Amino acid sequence: MSRYVATRAIRGANAIVAEADVLLQKALKEKGADQAVAFPNTAYFLPVALGMMGHEVSTLGELEPVMTYAKSMLHPIPDSKVWTPYLGETLDSGMATLLAAETIEAIRFVYGEQPEPYPGFQLAGGTSFTSPDNGGEPSLDGHLNGPIDDIQLRSWGIQLVDGRMPGFAAIIGAARSNEAAVSIVRELQQRSILTFLSGNVNGRSIIDQLQEEGVEMGYDTYIVPFGRDTLSAIYALGFATRSALTFGGLKGGQWRDILLYNKNRVFAFALALGEVDDLKYAAAAGAISYGFPVIADTIIPEILPTGVTRYEHVISMPWNEIEGETESEKAKQLVQKCIEVRGVKIQITEVPVPVPYGSAFEGEVVRRADMRAEFGGKGSRAYEYLFMADMDDVEDGKIEVIGPEFDTLDEGGFMDLGILVKVAGRKMESDFEPVLERQIHYFVNGASGIQHIGQRDIAWIRISKAAAEKGFTLKHFGDILHARFHGDFGTIVDKVEVKIITEPKLYAEWLEKAREAYNERNERMGAMTDESVEDFYSCTLCQSFAPDHVCIVSPERLGLCGAYNWLDCKASFQINPTGPNQPIKKGECLDDDKGYFTGVNEYAVQASHGSVSDVAMYSVMENPMTACGCFECIMMVIPEANGFMIVSREDTSMTPAGMTFSTLAGVAGGGLQTPGVMGHGKFFVLSKKFIRADGGLKRVVWLSSIMKEQMAEQLKEAAIREGDPDLIDKIADERDCTDVEGLVKHLQEKNHPALSLPPLM
Amino acid sequence: MAVEIPKEKWTAQVRKVTIGATSEEGGTRAKTLTVGGESALPFLHYEGSFPNKPALAVEIRDRKPDDWSPLLLDALGETAEDPAKWAQAAEAMGADLIYLVLSAATADGNPNTPENVRAVVRKVLDATGLPIAVVGPGQAEIDNELIVPAAEEADGERVLLGVCEEKNYRTIVAAALAHNHLVQSKTPMDVNLSKQLVILINDMGLPLERIMMDPTTGALGYGIEYGYSVMERLRLAALTGDKMTQQPMIVDPGAEAWKVKESKVGEGVPEAWGDWNRRALNWETLTATTLIHSGANIVILRHPENVARVRKVIDDLSSATT
Repeated sequence: MSRYVATRAIRGANAIVAEADVLLQKALKEKGADQAVAFPNTAYFLPVALGMMGHEVSTLGELEPVMTYAKSMLHPIPDSKVWTPYLGETLDSGMATLLAAETIEAIRFVYGEQPEPYPGFQLAGGTSFTSPDNGGEPSLDGHLNGPIDDIQLRSWGIQLVDGRMPGFAAIIGAARSNEAAVSIVRELQQRSILTFLSGNVNGRSIIDQLQEEGVEMGYDTYIVPFGRDTLSAIYALGFATRSALTFGGLKGGQWRDILLYNKNRVFAFALALGEVDDLKYAAAAGAISYGFPVIADTIIPEILPTGVTRYEHVISMPWNEIEGETESEKAKQLVQKCIEVRGVKIQITEVPVPVPYGSAFEGEVVRRADMRAEFGGKGSRAYEYLFMADMDDVEDGKIEVIGPEFDTLDEGGFMDLGILVKVAGRKMESDFEPVLERQIHYFVNGASGIQHIGQRDIAWIRISKAAAEKGFTLKHFGDILHARFHGDFGTIVDKVEVKIITEPKLYAEWLEKAREAYNERNERMGAMTDESVEDFYSCTLCQSFAPDHVCIVSPERLGLCGAYNWLDCKASFQINPTGPNQPIKKGECLDDDKGYFTGVNEYAVQASHGSVSDVAMYSVMENPMTACGCFECIMMVIPEANGFMIVSREDTSMTPAGMTFSTLAGVAGGGLQTPGVMGHGKFFVLSKKFIRADGGLKRVVWLSSIMKEQMAEQLKEAAIREGDPDLIDKIADERDCTDVEGLVKHLQEKNHPALSLPPLM
Repeated sequence: MAVEIPKEKWTAQVRKVTIGATSEEGGTRAKTLTVGGESALPFLHYEGSFPNKPALAVEIRDRKPDDWSPLLLDALGETAEDPAKWAQAAEAMGADLIYLVLSAATADGNPNTPENVRAVVRKVLDATGLPIAVVGPGQAEIDNELIVPAAEEADGERVLLGVCEEKNYRTIVAAALAHNHLVQSKTPMDVNLSKQLVILINDMGLPLERIMMDPTTGALGYGIEYGYSVMERLRLAALTGDKMTQQPMIVDPGAEAWKVKESKVGEGVPEAWGDWNRRALNWETLTATTLIHSGANIVILRHPENVARVRKVIDDLSSATT
């Protein structure tokens, strides 16, 4: 905690509490202790006093305990020589300030000074208020809004709770110029963020600025003018307190729960425009208790460590240092920063492209005859590369096309294309880069008339004539990616920037960088071992039809469907913490060779509802992992051959086990543990942990030819690693034999190593 | 020789949930409905206690439905013309809960409006002293638009609001939080998804005592065994102590049974199918009673006669001593 900030906040609190006290004594004398005190149209009395103290104020006299309490939270100004921790004192002072501010506003209501009169002002919907000036009828004219009534609280509260409204901004002070004021408010409005206005700088308020510019304020426009002094900002915290009481099921006096509710669920922040005086510091300290960070457009000391708020507490972003040509560009940056500091998530519901969009179009094929342009494939190359960067280095929503568009091509022509996606996020990790990058395939494919195949530098994209005619351009790839990454991966990604490159020189330059990254990722993934991590992940996605099956996914053993590796599961858990992929603490390793872990066994018991109690991660002969039915391959012991056959899903031929894949699936699936039979993912065959306890790759005596072809290179490498470079040639496939006699003969001819290994049974 | 019946010992029980509020509780209902609380599998009285019998909800609509079987409309007669009369008729049939389903469009084809919803909810609340449920037509945006005013109109009545689904639950839950109601959490026949949605709703701050779980079912002959199995597994998990599966279950055999060919079609079907009306009624009865066997705490019915028929099954099963 900055001593400067602490000093000013504590000083501000002391002053305002003293002022409130004087005001209360005067009011008691003039109006009497029984004089009724209330904010209009609310059942929550004075909400901050109710929430924090459990104290219901309905008369002037009942304000006295509030002041006593506020005074008890005051502290002396920190010594200028002795440095002590003052976070506690500062937060106390903040709370004292809020209670004093609420007291003052309540008294002002008694004297008819609230809601603040503002001649000529007309609210666009708001808390209607009866005043003698309009003959005692409720009216929206001639005054600012004051506190929000309960009806509006519920209506907006529902939108805040269900996420349609991402949060609220409490703006205090005045912007540098009218233009800046309008720009800031419009930026917030565009993001559906509720805006509360209060305060002034040297007598001039943002409310005046917006009024001069003809901006409508009131409930209907989501811009609520509370009042032209700092004290009216208390209504924002009253609103926050009542949200917790209404939607959090909390009662007055549960101050800790109310503050935590706001920290965790109400995405609000304070934006201080212009000079920050003692009172503003003190009020800001109050806001911080609610977990609301403070962003200032002037130079003030920053408080960056997290704690009371989710991220930074106080951020200074001096207006004249913000990059941007115009006021509106600066406003955009400032608002972006606010959103980032509070962790407000923006929702994008529609993908803004001129063609229909949805998962129904994912499998669509664009034939050569219907094709307008092609990237990748035979004539050209295309790559896609997603990488993370620092928050400040990514401009959300920026989409650039560098180089010629495809309208320069002849019909059916081709060109080179690079898609770069730069993302940033508080929860983003470099491990998630490949997971997100692979989504590009699905996202791009969702557009009608666009075909996407492959990934990395073997991507291949076609745009149909129909899509081009509807106005689809390269920029729309960026729009799709921006919208979908926010929509589907918003929990880990806060900012997305896209560059589409067709300019040859830049294309080549980035291709180099992308390839370096691909290699580095391959190596990182290759170096990741089961020993190097604490957690494995579960996958219970298939329990809907195999109720007792649970997949255990480790770095060296991917899911049996081939669709989920360890990193995918990790990312999935971040995105959906209650979903099917849960971390499993590995616990103690009971048997390194067979792969028994205490944590895995415990989890298996629970998730299989007691039907599986032990899982050997690296064996098929003893407690093999169960399977649902989605396996890419099935492995089965062939005792006569002293080894295992592996048949892949695509292979319809007979196998030496005397069963085809589909017959075997009945034995391997359904969540049953059958020693000697196991469903697994194709790439598991390449793992160093692949049935290690049973002899590893050297035990494989028969393997569907399609796998041999698809994974030729990798299998060769694995064979070299196992010390038998010709191993793959020694393994039979359906072209050599489909029965045991033929298999044994083949193995003897080829001198397969399994024959000389210890007997399996 | 005396035969010893083996008894299962369970460690946990189904959570109790109360729908509706009397005047003492801030509402205007003449009575409330409490379900759940059992500590063994359905009707196995020698293994646990059953403080509350399975309850019957009767579905009513905000207007005469366009797509209901003529058998149902004939049986309902003019009560189907007016939600207030329909609610009173349902009460007379012996319903424990009025299950009001809002239509997406009004009779003249225009979109339903919040004003109309308020009026209908008010009418139904005034017409009956039974607790009520109000659910939308089942299209996310329309549901949200209609359920929020319904929740507001019924403030304090502890109404069951729905239907919360994985893709659309936040607004309905927020409305329940704001106006002290309950929600129906519906997921497509999967134990983990049922559990997950309960967790998500609970994470928003709605207490578990205000969530009814709807695991979805199919009608007799149309996947009922699948629904049965999911419900059975949910209940087994609940009784063995899995907290997030302990919600009482509500299912809709009425809607399911009345949309299958056997109950919908009276002509051009094999003669062996027998009398149409009898067949259709039996289809609903058997779907409902089967689900009660698998642990349903509330079943939603449509045909007036079936309320008494299903009630008799429940009473007979509940009074069995061994």
